[in-house]
Amino acid sequence: MVASACLTLAAIHLLAWSMNRAAWANLLFSLSALATAALAGCEYWMMRAQTPAEYATALRWHHIPIWAIFVTTVGFVLLQLRAGRPWLAWTVCALRTLTLILDFTVGQNLQYLEITHLRSIRFLGESVSGAVGVHNPLLLIGQLSALLWLVFIADAAATAWRRGDRRQAVEGATIAFFALATTVQAALVFREIIAAPFAASPFFLAVVAAMGYDLTREVLRTAQLSDSLRESEERMTLATDAAGLGIWMWDRARNRVWASERGRQQLGFEPGEPLSIPAMLQHIHPDDREAVHRELQRAGQAMGEWRSEYRVSLPDGTHRWIVARNRMYPDTASGTSRMRGVTVDITARKNAEQALEMQRDELVHLARITTLNEFSNSLAHELNQPLAIILTNAQAAQRLLAQSPPDLAEARDILTDIVSEDQRAGEVIRRLRSLLKHGQSHLLPLSLDAIVEDVLRIAHSELIGRGITVHTVMAASDPRVAGDRVQLQQVLLNLILNACEAMASNPPASRHLTLASARSEETIRVSVSDTGCGLPSDAESIFKPFYTTRKDGLGLGLPICRSIVTAHHGRLWAEAHGAAGPSLGATAAGPGATLHLELPAVT
Amino acid sequence: MVDSPIPAEGTVFLLDDEPGMLKALTRLLKAEGYSVRAFSAAKAFLESYKPQAIGCLVLDVAMPEIDGLELQRRLTHSGALLPIVFLTGHGDIPMSVQAIKAGAEDFLTKPVNDADLLRAVRAAVQRCAAQRELIAEAALLHQRHSTLTAREREVMAHIVAGELNKVAAAHLGIGEHTIKVHRARVMEKMGVESLADLVRAAERLNLVIPANTNKN
Repeated sequence: MVASACLTLAAIHLLAWSMNRAAWANLLFSLSALATAALAGCEYWMMRAQTPAEYATALRWHHIPIWAIFVTTVGFVLLQLRAGRPWLAWTVCALRTLTLILDFTVGQNLQYLEITHLRSIRFLGESVSGAVGVHNPLLLIGQLSALLWLVFIADAAATAWRRGDRRQAVEGATIAFFALATTVQAALVFREIIAAPFAASPFFLAVVAAMGYDLTREVLRTAQLSDSLRESEERMTLATDAAGLGIWMWDRARNRVWASERGRQQLGFEPGEPLSIPAMLQHIHPDDREAVHRELQRAGQAMGEWRSEYRVSLPDGTHRWIVARNRMYPDTASGTSRMRGVTVDITARKNAEQALEMQRDELVHLARITTLNEFSNSLAHELNQPLAIILTNAQAAQRLLAQSPPDLAEARDILTDIVSEDQRAGEVIRRLRSLLKHGQSHLLPLSLDAIVEDVLRIAHSELIGRGITVHTVMAASDPRVAGDRVQLQQVLLNLILNACEAMASNPPASRHLTLASARSEETIRVSVSDTGCGLPSDAESIFKPFYTTRKDGLGLGLPICRSIVTAHHGRLWAEAHGAAGPSLGATAAGPGATLHLELPAVT
Repeated sequence: MVDSPIPAEGTVFLLDDEPGMLKALTRLLKAEGYSVRAFSAAKAFLESYKPQAIGCLVLDVAMPEIDGLELQRRLTHSGALLPIVFLTGHGDIPMSVQAIKAGAEDFLTKPVNDADLLRAVRAAVQRCAAQRELIAEAALLHQRHSTLTAREREVMAHIVAGELNKVAAAHLGIGEHTIKVHRARVMEKMGVESLADLVRAAERLNLVIPANTNKN
């Protein structure tokens, strides 16, 4: 009965240990229980012994489980109570091992040098065997080890108590109590003070039970925990499903990936398809795959949390946009790391964003065409000029070649000029085409000065035609902003055009347009100043849609300019000139205004 | 001045803010034998222009600071008699009307055909030369007229008014013979052979016809 109880406990805790290799206390406990079962077996053998020799052999062998119980309880106390003096522990183990050696080398066993005969003892209503013979004096060593064992356990219990761990102290005290009981019982039986067989195993069972009480409670609590875990997982699943969240985890030590049902679905896995990092990367859109791979590698080294957006390719050729928030954290047990990630399907949002962006691009493009329309006359002139030069040059050449002798040197010069004028015409067309082109915005590093230069070239004839004198103060030539060339040209063309409009009623001598660029650590600024009619009292109102002072104006130029600049993470604002504002000494000029375009500098 | 020969080709002044155009026009006109002076800004032209120059001005309309029409105004104001051929990148009708009304020789748009340009330039240069000739002639007549005595001027006025010697003598209260002598002197001094030539000269001089002729 004792043996089967012990075997059951041993089996449970062996299982607990096999599931969690770090739970050494469970292993030691199992070994104690096994040893107690073996001890019970030996004692049963002794009780049933028919000859003194058989009894002696059983008594000799029963010291092996006792040794095992000593060693495992010492280990258990050290681990579970986190108390006990190590030197005492080593001494107990060493003495007990010595005892075991003596048991097998001196006399018939540790108790008796020789058992002369057996006697019959009444025990629990049954007749069992007891021994009578010559006592072995070395038993004292065994008794000393038992005493030290008791002292060790009691001391550990006291330490736990002082430390405040009452539960562990009680556990230690219980172990100590039953250990004392078994030692006393053995001594009394041996001295034949009480007529009973050696029956240490029930006391050891109590020791084991005391040891096991806490551990078993933990096993039970684990079962409860797993129940509540399952419940909380269900709640979690419900919540994540409701929020449309997918969850996945990656155990790098075992290279295992787990994902919730929705996570699997979002990452593009078919039901039943095995999860792995390579398979996951395979499902990611080829354009994004490399980036995600790099992020995972980087996080594997640096740990921490990061966010990424990528597309998952679907079997039907479309893709799904996923935003993921991941956290990589060190796994102390394996020395590598683990990752947890949450994924959200943002395809709908992305589509809406794209649609919005396309609409915005469309509007910007339309506004650009409207702006260019304002310049159409002068742009035609820009193109006409090189054509006129080419024609006149060619006809001059015809005359020079018709002379006798023909002036070949001059004709050659003429051809050179024709080529360069033709290229100039091509350049005008190229510039125009790029402005008319309809495309998504591309942010590239560029210089605002170069944009100003381009724009002044486009507006050249227009400015001359309007009798406007242009001044430039440029100081931002190196490429220090990230921008869309065409859109920034559009903004500046609009600002120039507005300045021209503002000066339309000035006499020609006082139409001055100044373009100035300036740079600081963080920003690059271009300012467009005029000497025109000035700003309304609420300067900000010029950026409101449909604000216009012109009969044929739509009032969308500046709002669109501002939206372009905002998309470039920059600012666009108007400044009225005060009394001390930049005046170019022009009489009959208006108060004037300056519009500032400021973009963040990139390094 | 009248004896200075009218040059077969005058000087063509070119004014355009576009250097390429200036160069091309210079080549074309030089190939035609004109002497060419090119300017890229109105100010430079005004500084070097001499009123007695014979030729014409090929003028761009759209130019910074002083544009073509403004320059035309200034030249007219200063009494310069240089015919202007406008050459413009984008001319509109009101602009050309304004230019022609202000006395422009021609109004051409770029790109211009060489034949059209050369015809306009030739006409302008000729007009300039002709004007100069007329002016020179007028100056000569004035000079000759100034050599006449007061009496001779009176006689001339009556003769060109168509009065017979007798009538003129009666009007002036002098003898008919004296009239004849004066008349011969007038003809000689004015360098005319016939009464008709004298009448034409008087018209050129814009002489005041005597009030008493109204009595006829």
